[in-house]
Formats: sequence, structure tokens, C-alpha cells
Amino acid sequence: MGNEPWVTMRVWFTKTGRAKYISHLDLNRCMTRAVQRAKIPLWYTEGFNPHPFLTFALPLSLGIDGLRESMDIRLLESVDKDRMIGEINKGLPKDIRVFDVTVPKKKPGKIAKASYQITILPEDRTASEAEQTLRALLAQEQIIVQKKSKSGIKDVDIKPDLDVRDLQTEGDAVTCTLYLPAGSVRNINPHLLFDALEQFCIVRFYAKIVRTDLFDSDGQVFA
Amino acid sequence: MNQKIEPLLLRVQKPGRYVGGELNAVLKDKDQVDVRFAFCFPDTYEVGMSHLGMKILYSLFNEKPYIWCERVFAPWIDMEAEMRKNAIPLYALESGDPIRDFDFIGFTLQYELSYTNVLNMLDLAGLPLRTDERTDEMPIVCAGGPCAVNPEPIADFIDLFFIGEGEEIDLEVIELYREMRKNGCTKKEFLRAAAKISGVYVPSLYDVTYKADGTIEAVTPKDGAPKKILRRVLPDMNKAYYPENFVVPSIEIVHDRAVSEVQRGCYRGCRFCQAGFIYRPVRTKTIDKINGECRALCENTGYEELSLVSLSTSDYPDINGLLDQLLTWTNDEHVSISLPSQRVDSFSTELMDKLKSVRRSGLTFAPEAGTQRMRDVINKNVTEEELLKTVRTAFAGGWLNIKLYFMIGLPTETMDDVAGIAKLGQAVVDEFYQNPNRPKGRSVNVTVSASSFVPKAFTPFQWEPQDPIELLHEKQQHLKNSVTTRKITCNYHEAHTSFLEGVFARGDRRLAPVLEEAQKRGCKMDGWSECFDFDRWMKVFDDCGVDPKFYNQRRRAFDEVLPWDHIDMGIKKSFLIAECQRAYENKTSPDCSQECSHCGASRFKGGICYGK
Repeated sequence: MGNEPWVTMRVWFTKTGRAKYISHLDLNRCMTRAVQRAKIPLWYTEGFNPHPFLTFALPLSLGIDGLRESMDIRLLESVDKDRMIGEINKGLPKDIRVFDVTVPKKKPGKIAKASYQITILPEDRTASEAEQTLRALLAQEQIIVQKKSKSGIKDVDIKPDLDVRDLQTEGDAVTCTLYLPAGSVRNINPHLLFDALEQFCIVRFYAKIVRTDLFDSDGQVFA
Repeated sequence: MNQKIEPLLLRVQKPGRYVGGELNAVLKDKDQVDVRFAFCFPDTYEVGMSHLGMKILYSLFNEKPYIWCERVFAPWIDMEAEMRKNAIPLYALESGDPIRDFDFIGFTLQYELSYTNVLNMLDLAGLPLRTDERTDEMPIVCAGGPCAVNPEPIADFIDLFFIGEGEEIDLEVIELYREMRKNGCTKKEFLRAAAKISGVYVPSLYDVTYKADGTIEAVTPKDGAPKKILRRVLPDMNKAYYPENFVVPSIEIVHDRAVSEVQRGCYRGCRFCQAGFIYRPVRTKTIDKINGECRALCENTGYEELSLVSLSTSDYPDINGLLDQLLTWTNDEHVSISLPSQRVDSFSTELMDKLKSVRRSGLTFAPEAGTQRMRDVINKNVTEEELLKTVRTAFAGGWLNIKLYFMIGLPTETMDDVAGIAKLGQAVVDEFYQNPNRPKGRSVNVTVSASSFVPKAFTPFQWEPQDPIELLHEKQQHLKNSVTTRKITCNYHEAHTSFLEGVFARGDRRLAPVLEEAQKRGCKMDGWSECFDFDRWMKVFDDCGVDPKFYNQRRRAFDEVLPWDHIDMGIKKSFLIAECQRAYENKTSPDCSQECSHCGASRFKGGICYGK
């Protein structure tokens, strides 16, 4: 470290609204175009097809809002934070907004946990009924769901991973905060919990999921 | 975004198609505009967003403060099913508002197989399909684009067609509408007035009568509509509007890059090619104008790829000068330049070096036919020597993948002409091995791609019968059997889709019930092989009592009234007849840069007809 011809900056952004339907692969392309268009001194890779170097801390699943997403970017020299925020935002869809640029403190590999804000809008029962159903599901010994991976579909018990807090009914919605393992070691997609709710309890609903933060194994906020 | 659609989005593939919100999408306050225009592309988001014409008109319309133009695409079948199940009408991407509440619904007609999508989109919008079933409160449904040159098969569904170039005519119509609506005029009054604008075709103002043999007796205008509708043309591309900004899709689309149109029209006059006749005369932009457009676009979009498009970009008079100008900044900006296709006879090392300086892809050429006789018939003025010289240059430059486009089913074609395609492919392979400096240990790959010829309106072959499907299959098989090396990959297009394209390309108003019934029975996305159902289509024709072969497999007489005869593309019929007769005599005709053939396009007073 120290001798590289680049400096790494961590770019923090939100990805909400319409932008939550942009897949990770497409997000990468959007960001590449945005930083290319921004007047900032990008470091380009030295391969056959030189391109800007971007890496994302932890991909966000399609359909989930993200409030504290980040990507690392390599520059030839450091740039004024506010100018960088302004320049990159000019080239992004409205629902992706850069709000901060920092010097990376932790490696993305350290990420162990994510927090989500969940809003469930039931379609076939009242919110308090849905809350009771969800509580009954969470009280079970095991919650087995099918998890798709590269090696195929396998059954996983997500019960030990679930950390549900502040479960309550608010108007016509059930809300809670959910902590789940995230990162390279163990990663649980919050949609798995809703698959279980749909399959075992036969509830019809629409769930809005917002990833609010990322943490390392010590419970420290990823920065 | 419409709250009702959010729950559906996670149940469908590629939900990013249905949400809008892209960089440079135009948002306006609907209460601050007078005219809302739903620009509909009757295919998927990825296809429609790749289309240059839509980008141009979207920006042109939205530059007017009183118009809000929004984009609409055909939802893929999974999303359509969800929308129908949940009673969500077709909406525009920018506002999420149902398009049935707009002032205009405008379709761009790029290929005949999208006609069922046009109808299906109207149905999804919650509107009756037929013009005469839509009330005054419902939007004006209009259409333009290359298929509008024979608008007759869908004339019963469209209130108004734009014949010719949208930049020239569309705003005039919208402004007239705005004015007349202010004065409380009815839709009928508006259409009657609009029909007086040059280039506007209002089908309901024309009666069609038929002879006993099924051919057309006459097309008669009424209510003061003109006898012939003359195409509108931009006389000078340098004064034409061109957007400095594109909507940049957030998801990957088919052609995802900055595009500059370097010229409109084509010099060549290949007799099978509709575009070669309906966009005459050739009008080029200056290098400065193109360079400025490219620069602005790359800066505003962040695209790393720049494509110089036109019907034949390597025919641009000073293509090397243009590339030199672009190369003064593209390398520094990490932008690569591409040309969509190369001419066999204007390809050079110099050109290649400029294109590959950043990135390299395969090379594609279109000899179109396998034998010299056949190429003379279609007026594709390319010789085998020229092709071999060109591939020699390409091989010397390190290219190993060559793709060659051909057509089968051309007028006067014999089985020898078909076998000639394989022979020409073989000659290209041989050329590679005759090069002593060829890269050792590397193999050449020649792809021979054969599509089936479809006769089109306003070409010298507009009277020709199309080959029956069985004969096309025989020719495909013959081509395949004539290939004797594994260095040649042979592809051909599905003959069934060409058959249907042929029916609608030269169809008339009696096809309306067929389209209506086809839509009802679920025909849609016919350009997609996973959706196209030929047997269902044939059953529809049968049940409607319409013989499709009347339209595509019948030789028409030169004096027959053609369904599109009241549309005037500015090309004289006598010229097309003469060209057809020259084809039978294996005689070629010079291209516009060499000598004027007096096709009639000089009446537009622009481009090459006047520039020389």
C-alpha cells in the first residue's frame, strides 16, 4: 500500500424509488457512466479495455431501497468532496443520489450484518391480523426456506439469523426493524423471510424493504 | 411512480423496463402544459429505447414548453398479464399516468410485425381499436415511421398518419390541435383541418372501392382531403433539429450508446431496399455539425461508445476527415467510435485503423447475393473482386471474424444463385489461407447469414411475388448443403415471419379485421420467436376469409392500383417500373453520386440533387 498510482475514495449514495429496480450489474454501468461524465481525475485500469475502477461494498438485491450504499472508486488524486458529489450526481438517475465521499476506514470484507426497515402492507387481512401471523411464524422452532445459490437450491433454517425488533402495527401496515447476516461469509436476503410468510401462513401482502445500514462483526457501523 | 404497479414489479422479469426515472428523462407539471403526447414504441423497452427517431422527436417535442412528450413501450407478456389481472391501464413512463387521458397517442411503425403490438397497446390503454369507435374525448391516435408508407393495413385504427420526416411535420399538427381545441373544435373538425397540412394522411377521409378480382378500383378523397399525400422532407440536415441529450437507460438495452446521424438517404438504389427509395434524396451533415453533436452527446450522457449511423455511413463523402476530427478528442475521453456496417467497396486500411484505435469488433459486409448476375438484378453494385480485396485488407489488419449478409428469394433467383452464396463464402475463406502472413495457429470464421426477401412498397420490386415458404425452405436447405467447410457458419431467418411481413408490407384495408382478430386471439410480439405463432395466424386468416397469398405471392400488373398509390413518396412510378425492367435485363443503374437517374426526388429541392 502507499505506492499505488491512485487514491481510493468511498462514495456514499442512496438508491431508492424507481432506482430500486436497477439490478446490481446495471447499477455498475450507471455509475461507470456517471463517473466518466463527471469531471474528476479517474484512474483507468491498464488492461486491453481501460475502464474506471469501481467496487461496491455489498450488492443490494433488486427491489430493495438502500439508504447508505457505498462504492469505492480510484482517482489519480483526491478531489474536493462537494465538487465530487455534485459532479457525479449530475450523471445519475434522480433516484440514485450521492450524499458523501470519505476516505475508506474499513474493508468491505468486514461487513457482517445489515439492518432493514420493513413495511408490510397486507392485502387479504388487517394489519394487526398480519402482525399476529408474523409473530406466530417467528415463534416457530425452525423457519426453513429455500435458498437459491450457484450450486442449486437448498433448504436453510433462517430462524437463528433473524433479529426482529420493534414489530408493531402502524395504521394499515406492519412495521419492524430487521437485522440479518450480510457479507461474504453468510448473507441472508430479507426476501427469504417474506417467502416464508407467503408459503407457510398464506398471507398476501406487499413488503417494502429498506436497507438502512451495514455493520461489521463487532456491531460497528461500516464506514 | 404509480403506487399500484409497485407490487407487480417484483413478480416480473426486468422491472426496470416499467419505471422510468432515467437520467435526462423529462418531467413537467401536467397542469402547466397544453398537450400531452404519449410516444409509443410497439415493442419492448430495450428495443424501443435503442431507436434514434424516438430520441429525436422526444427531445424536439419536449423543447416546446407547452408539450409534454412521454415514452411508452409494449410491456413484455409477463407484465401485460399482471397489468390485465390488476386492471392497470397502459401508462407513460415519465408520469405514470394512463395514456388514455393524453391528447395524442403516437406510434412509430418500424416493422410490420409490430402491428399486433400497436393494437394490443391500444387495448391495454383501455381504448377501442377502431377509429370510428373512439369518442371525441379519447386521444388522437397517430402514427409515422417507415411502415407508414403503406399505412393501409392499419388505416382503420389510426386517426392520422405522418408521411415523411417527423421533425418537419409533427409540430405543425400538434400546434394546429392546440389552437383548434382552444376554440372548442371537435376531433372530426381537427382531422379535416389537419388533412390539409402537407404530409398528413387521415385515412377516414378516403373511401376505397374494389374490383371483382379483389384488386383496388379507386381510392377517393372526401371533405376536401388531397388526392395524393406528398411526403414531407427536411431539405437541409444541417439546419435540422438534433438532440444534445438522450435519455440514458438505467438498464441495459440493445444499442446502448451515443448516436449521431451523419446523413439521411442512401446513394445506392439497391432495388430490394425500401429505405434506399423512401428517404431520398441523400442529405449529409457537415463534419462540424456532426462533431458538435457527438461531443455534446458524449458529455451529457457519459457514453463511452459513439456510433455514426445512416443507411450507409462509409459512403459519407469525407468519412476519413470526419473520423480525424472526432479522433482529436475521443481517445482522450475514452470514447470508441463504431460504424454499424461497412460497404464492401469503400472499406480501407485507413478507415479500419481509425476505428480499431480504441476497440475492435467483428466485421460485417452485405454482398446481398451470391452471383454477379443476381447482384446486377438487385443493383448491388459490388463485385466478387471487390469483396475479396476488402477481406484481404481485413485479414491483413488482424480481423478473423467476417460476417456476410445475403438474401434469398430475390426476383429471378435460381438454385445456382443460392449455391453462389456458399461459393462466395468459400472464396472468402480461401482468401484467408492464401495470405502468407496470416496469423499462425488461428482460424478464420465466416458467418453467412441469409434472410428471406420481402417485396416492399415504393421499390422497383413492389409488383413482385414473394417466394412461397416451401421454396424458401428448399433454398435454405440448398444453401446449407452447398457449404462444405466448417469455417463457414450458415444462418437463415425463419421464413414464416418473412411471409407475414410480406402480407402486411403490401396489404390493404381488408386486413384490418385480420389484425383485430389476431390481437383478440393473443397474437403479439410477433417479432419474437418465442411469441410468434404462425399456425394461429393462418387460422385467423382462414376464419376471416382472407387469403394472405393474394397480398404477398401474386404478381401485380404495372397498371394495377396499388393500396399505397395515394401516398406520394416523391419517387415517380415510371422510374420504379423502369428500374424493375432493368432488373429483368440484369442491368445495373448508377448511384446518385455518379449520375442522376431522375427518380423524382429532386422535387424536394435538397441534398445531392442540388448539391452538385
